[in-house]
Amino acid sequence: MGDEWRNATSVTHSAWLLSLVISIRGLTVTYGRTLALDRLDLDLGPGVIGLFGPNGSGKSTLLRVLSGLLRPSAGTVELCGRPISSSDEGFRRRVGYAGHESGLYPRLTLEENLSLFARLYDLPARRGVEVAGEVGLSNRLQTRAGELSAGLKRRAAVARALLHGPDLLLLDEPYANLDDDAAEEVTRAIQGWSGPERTALIATHGAKRLKAYAAGGVILKQGRVVVEGRYNRAREPAPRA
Amino acid sequence: MRPSGFLAKTSALAIKDLRVELRGRDTLPPMLAFAFTVALVLAFAVPELPATARPTKLTVALAYVEAGFLWITVLFAGLIGFARTFEVEREEGAIDALLLAPVDRSGLFIAKAAANLVFVACVEAVVIPSLALFFAIDLGAGWLPLLGVIVLVDLGFVAAGTLFAAVAAQTRSRELVLPLLALPTLVPVFIAAIELTADLFLGAAFDDMAGRGWFAILLAFDVIYGVVAALTFELALD
Repeated sequence: MGDEWRNATSVTHSAWLLSLVISIRGLTVTYGRTLALDRLDLDLGPGVIGLFGPNGSGKSTLLRVLSGLLRPSAGTVELCGRPISSSDEGFRRRVGYAGHESGLYPRLTLEENLSLFARLYDLPARRGVEVAGEVGLSNRLQTRAGELSAGLKRRAAVARALLHGPDLLLLDEPYANLDDDAAEEVTRAIQGWSGPERTALIATHGAKRLKAYAAGGVILKQGRVVVEGRYNRAREPAPRA
Repeated sequence: MRPSGFLAKTSALAIKDLRVELRGRDTLPPMLAFAFTVALVLAFAVPELPATARPTKLTVALAYVEAGFLWITVLFAGLIGFARTFEVEREEGAIDALLLAPVDRSGLFIAKAAANLVFVACVEAVVIPSLALFFAIDLGAGWLPLLGVIVLVDLGFVAAGTLFAAVAAQTRSRELVLPLLALPTLVPVFIAAIELTADLFLGAAFDDMAGRGWFAILLAFDVIYGVVAALTFELALD
């Protein structure tokens, strides 16, 4: 993977900066004496970006900071030139986040969960049903969220994050516990959501799966960016007709 | 946010909490079990006195003890429920999704407080008739003023309790932190509650009770707790 990333960085990075969406400068997060993110600098443009790195490299922490759920110890994060803040309702409307947990109420059915969040986003309740269909969960709408398998919960979490059509999508291990068919449905849902003005940052250990459709990627190690860039699609052979 | 949108979201969240409780029964049964058991035990702590036409020192003291028993039972049963206020949000990390939703934080507070108010009212619906039966209290026409006292106590109790439940939920020792914060703060509300309830048990007229100022104190604390809690709830969740 290394060479591809390095090549991609030099070719397309300047064009990418023109459509910069997220700007991170000197981002530092500490948990007690543990340094999770270490003066991290990163610029992100539109498109689906993979976030890779070994366990403990700071992927989940970075996503939580970008969502506004975690306040950094130092540094700045700007979305389209404005500092992010979870107290800003406008910012919250633009972000879709799915962390390690499903973010659903176990005793409510999937439909009740998604309808509740649809209402909170001023959307009609049927939007919950629609988004469940997008990740292949139409036949699980009446199942209580607590009775869903780990893989189904992952898909439900992605559905909840996609519900309101956010501009910035932050997914932490969306492919965890998914079989190939389910992973394909999640990929289709993310591709269906993506657009020229939208950015997704997806943390995953499954680099191969994400590389098939991601525009670029970032590799973290010990809280720092070690590689960042965009895939150079022009270098890849065109698919056969 | 439009007022109708605020109300719709707040009521949706409150209904969600009640629906979750209806299915899980994690909060109300322990509150009710605690309250009824304590009421039953306390019934044996109060001697039965012969009825007198005029209040004696002993009957006055007894009225205060009975009122104290009633409100202490409600207070501790309420704290059991408040401690679970945010458990439903923590189970599957729903708190993150909720905090990212475009819902006014005061709406979150009102929804949580409304659900807690229903739980406390359920406890009172069991405890008050039980204690009235155990202590052979005949309120006569005093039930209506007692209802007013209950409403005023509950508003302040639930407002402060919900706020401190949010603060405690951010800590590791949340079961310890909640009573440590809530109990000292709630002292004025429960002193006023005991004073007013004892007056009612002694058959005092409503005008006499109002003249003693305890209603005004209760109302003042309701307003203070309600406003402070609604304004600081965001900080408590942060």
